[in-house]
Amino acid sequence: MTHAPVLKVENLQTRFKSVQRGKFVHAVDDVSIELYPGEIVGLVGESGCGKSTLGRTIVGLEKASSGRVLLDGVDLSTLSGVALRNSRRALQYVFQDPYSSLNDRQTVGEAIDEALQIDGMRSRTDRERRTKELLDQVGLADAVKDRHTRELSGGQRQRVAIARSLAVNPRVLICDEPVSALDLSIRAQVMNLFLRLQKDLGVACLFIAHDLELVRQAASRVYVMYLGKIVEHGPSQELYDHPSHPYSQMLLASVPEADPIAERQRKAPLMIGEVPSPTNPPSGCRFRTRCPLVVDECKQQVPAAYKLSPGHSAACTFAVDLHRGKRTALIQPEADAA
Amino acid sequence: MHNEPLLTVSNLTVDLLTAKSAVRPVDGVSYSVRQGECLAIVGESGSGKTVMNFAPLGLMPTGVTTVLSGSVKFDGHELIGRPEAEIRKFRGRSIGFIFQDPMSALNPVRRIGRQIAEMAELHLGMSPSAAEARALELVKLVGISDPAARLRQYPHELSGGLRQRIVIAIALAGEPKLLIADEPTTALDVTVQAQILRLLKDLQKRLDMAMVLITHDMGVVAGAADNIVVMYAARAAERGPVDKVLVSPRHPYTRGLINAIPRREDPIGSEFRGLPGVPPTLGAPFKGCAFASRCGFAVAACSASRPPLVPTPDGSVFVACPVVNQGKAAA
Repeated sequence: MTHAPVLKVENLQTRFKSVQRGKFVHAVDDVSIELYPGEIVGLVGESGCGKSTLGRTIVGLEKASSGRVLLDGVDLSTLSGVALRNSRRALQYVFQDPYSSLNDRQTVGEAIDEALQIDGMRSRTDRERRTKELLDQVGLADAVKDRHTRELSGGQRQRVAIARSLAVNPRVLICDEPVSALDLSIRAQVMNLFLRLQKDLGVACLFIAHDLELVRQAASRVYVMYLGKIVEHGPSQELYDHPSHPYSQMLLASVPEADPIAERQRKAPLMIGEVPSPTNPPSGCRFRTRCPLVVDECKQQVPAAYKLSPGHSAACTFAVDLHRGKRTALIQPEADAA
Repeated sequence: MHNEPLLTVSNLTVDLLTAKSAVRPVDGVSYSVRQGECLAIVGESGSGKTVMNFAPLGLMPTGVTTVLSGSVKFDGHELIGRPEAEIRKFRGRSIGFIFQDPMSALNPVRRIGRQIAEMAELHLGMSPSAAEARALELVKLVGISDPAARLRQYPHELSGGLRQRIVIAIALAGEPKLLIADEPTTALDVTVQAQILRLLKDLQKRLDMAMVLITHDMGVVAGAADNIVVMYAARAAERGPVDKVLVSPRHPYTRGLINAIPRREDPIGSEFRGLPGVPPTLGAPFKGCAFASRCGFAVAACSASRPPLVPTPDGSVFVACPVVNQGKAAA
């Protein structure tokens, strides 16, 4: 890992006009993240927390209201026209649903060839050679190129979508739930493909997912997002072993285990309620409405991010105590349905 | 526990015929559920787990001819061969349904209260005012705060978790004996999933219902179910108590599935364990074992004939694998 991040997001804010007049939905609010070359970084959170909007804003599918996206140190907002398009090419997006991200009427070869043509590869033989190479990289047989994308299974389609993103030699892949539409027995195959691409090609990958165990195994670092803000980030092992934000603790404790005996004994904390509306986020700490540790202070000010160990920080007044295990968000008694 | 199972499915086969093709999404499956018991049906997409539960109750898309054979006995009544008008009397009344996507299961232009009350009027013959009172009771039962206000709201005003609670309230309106829940937590976030699952489990116990839980998530199975049927390519691969099947799976497919779940102790950046190959697409039934082409233990006998479900010596777990049943691949 080199010391310069390939992708740096600084104080990014994305807001949408709300249906309520004069109000805004702050989907992404003051988010800063970094991605180093050849690194898989996880971004986890519940639906509606803004994780997909963050990914989409980074690649330019949504317009940032403020903040900067730097690719290799170059602020993308200072570029325009051809220069912007060329830079953006280094940032590619892999969508969740491989059934809607590919054109059913194209063959696999055509789908990849199109990407190469747009990238400016003129010679047909070069493109054919590159298509073959890309199919090989994503683990598909060369013969697949003559088949229509509609004839393929979900896992194969996702491989084609990945091959298309790789066609332009990206530096960064933003993968938005790339395996959640796939069957359990196929997921591992596609996840291993991501691991291999990261090793072989050195592509950095922002892995947006809600499956916490999947992210833990794939990512070296993880960001936890709640209601538009990063509440905790750190190296995966450290963060999963010592989650230091009440939200991270409760999120991790919500994952059911496949072991029936352990599952019956597990006193999972029931997180209170659901994510509030991002149109009117709570004042101060955004998690305070669902947090069992809430004190008056949380209402008044946005908690600062505490540095807990190298690369690990959490934005909670009690982060230090939570990190040391002196306090926990998991003591919440079971709130049974009335 | 009661002696006679509430639902007994024996040798159920479903054939779907369209103008162009004929497929068999369910091929000779048997299982039973007792009152107060929860059975999980697990399988990947296309394994037949949903069709198996919905086809006998007439819940199939139009334009497809559904041919059923075998037997589905519910509460002493045989459902197969019964005319639609009679099957309708079971649907929503003694058999309640919960669907995956709570948004599409609700009517977007009617108030929540009306949608629940409607079910009580239809199935229990209640007067509108009695049904409204029942709706309020049900909304309280599914743990919704400020119930009176919720009844006046429309589905779009509620979050996914609240909507799913409403769908559950509707399913309970007819006082069902059996609740069929098709991926009830798949569309929900993990934190909400835990709440809904706990609610379902709690209601099932309190109302002494039988529940069939269709899912692909082994974590959900472990937390909620007593027994499990593992489906692969239209057939049951393994069947038995959750405590046995999840803890020491016997069928190579079940083993592979459970093995594929990432574990906390897996090192970061390590390979994900999975199954090789892809699940077969629906089509004509397989002559032998449908899993043979992906199976590391396959022998010639596997593709020769369909492996029967054979009980383990203690009679609790049934496995359809000739290799396992001969004891050659014992774990």
